[in-house]
Amino acid sequence: MECTGHGDVPIVEQVFPETDIASRIRGIKRIPIGDRAARECIDIAYGFFTPLTGFQGKKDVDSICDNMTLANGTLWPIPILLDVEDTILKEHSVKEREEILLTCRGKALAIMEVDEIYTYDTIRLAESVLGTGDGGHPGVRMMRRLRNRFLGGSIHLVGEPVFQPPFDAFWYTPKKLRRLFRDKGWQRIVAHQTRNVPHSGHEWLMKGAWFSAHGDMPVEELHTGVLVSCIIGPKRVGDYIDEAIVLCHDQLRKSGYFRNDLHLVSFVLWDMRYAGPREAVFHAILRTNLGCSHHMFGRDHAGVGSFYDPYDAHRIFEQLGEKKLRIKPVRVLEWWYCPVCDEVTYSGLCGHDEQKQSFSGTLIRSMLTDRVKPTKRIFRPEIYDLVLKCAEMYGFGSPFCTDQYLVQRGPVFTLPDIA
Amino acid sequence: MAAKYPIHLWINDERFERLSRVGLAEATEDVLAGMRVIKVYCTEAQKDEFLRFYPSAKYDSATTKSIELLPYQVKDRLFELIIESGSIDVAGEFLAHPQ
Repeated sequence: MECTGHGDVPIVEQVFPETDIASRIRGIKRIPIGDRAARECIDIAYGFFTPLTGFQGKKDVDSICDNMTLANGTLWPIPILLDVEDTILKEHSVKEREEILLTCRGKALAIMEVDEIYTYDTIRLAESVLGTGDGGHPGVRMMRRLRNRFLGGSIHLVGEPVFQPPFDAFWYTPKKLRRLFRDKGWQRIVAHQTRNVPHSGHEWLMKGAWFSAHGDMPVEELHTGVLVSCIIGPKRVGDYIDEAIVLCHDQLRKSGYFRNDLHLVSFVLWDMRYAGPREAVFHAILRTNLGCSHHMFGRDHAGVGSFYDPYDAHRIFEQLGEKKLRIKPVRVLEWWYCPVCDEVTYSGLCGHDEQKQSFSGTLIRSMLTDRVKPTKRIFRPEIYDLVLKCAEMYGFGSPFCTDQYLVQRGPVFTLPDIA
Repeated sequence: MAAKYPIHLWINDERFERLSRVGLAEATEDVLAGMRVIKVYCTEAQKDEFLRFYPSAKYDSATTKSIELLPYQVKDRLFELIIESGSIDVAGEFLAHPQ
């Protein structure tokens, strides 16, 4: 089974075997880390961030900022950092060239070999990676909140996360996904990244991307699949609840709007930086590591506000050239509803610009908030019904994150107790 | 006092049929893929009343220039008042007996 990831590096899982972990970690300095770092630790351990084997050191971060590559020249757009307060490091006398136990919310997560402890100018980070130091950019605010020391070094997971329902049905590591693709006979896989429940515009984005990826392959048997790759990370009030996102995408397949053998839902743990074009490249690398052959990029991919031109995330791939990536970008325009065509149609082909009606997230949010069942052209009825069901089951009455949801929601995963 | 602060009510196929039966189909505006909107206009005083009764609501003066984030039950009741009265001028009647 092909298990080569980005940079032509094999996908390797860095997870300690279960036997005798308790004695292995006994006596190792326990350093607490935040939720974001914990998510990224899990990603590193299972190969989502291949060729990374740990959190990055200063040399790599400098190279990423200046050249969008690792120090060894491999394309890499966003630094993966482990930030810790210097007071914590001093309290535990953490030094370079020793191992520590990373903990999250009191539970053992991973053993880290500390190669390097360093400081970094977060303004330089923001300006290089995000293209701005403007505090109005959420990625800038995230970088400003980074703690004042960074640790570089490899990690090995000791506490494998236990994913909770409904997420457990959609958790696939890169190796598991590749096995699944092989078992399904998929030769081409186009990734659709999402943080939304699917309306018809989204459905047609995925179908259009499938056509692009399928290309000139024969049609008597179909060996092209759509991988819906949901982003699960920090939420804000007004975002869709995570449970609705994964379940509603899966419902598209269950209800037959996608063939059962050509559609799969999964998710990735990732805290969006909203870095526009750089993040588009990062997402391409991520889905390379999942085994995808293609990745769909719509308008303003990973953008926020007006910090990036809507097609910056398309153009960056022209600058890279195909050789640096093992995945093909599928660049798409929007699908809109045309009252003249009387259908959801592709903006690149429909000649009725003046009459177009765009799928506005704000309008759709308003319809869902008002509990007025949208027309079938906007939402498949099964999806709408499931959105409301998820609102009751998981969202405390709302399909959107509320303050209550943010505080009381069920965890996406838990870590085991290791004595 | 001029009634110039709208509350937008979504109108799907089912609601459009009910509005058509009371002669108010023409009062709707086409928005997206068959979804329409009907506007219930409020005076400034009525706007302030809505915002006082429902603290989660707000008047969006920047983008939509409408009263937003009213509970959906309020909007449902406004729609039913439109059907009952055959008129979109229902803000006052609602506020006389707010829910």
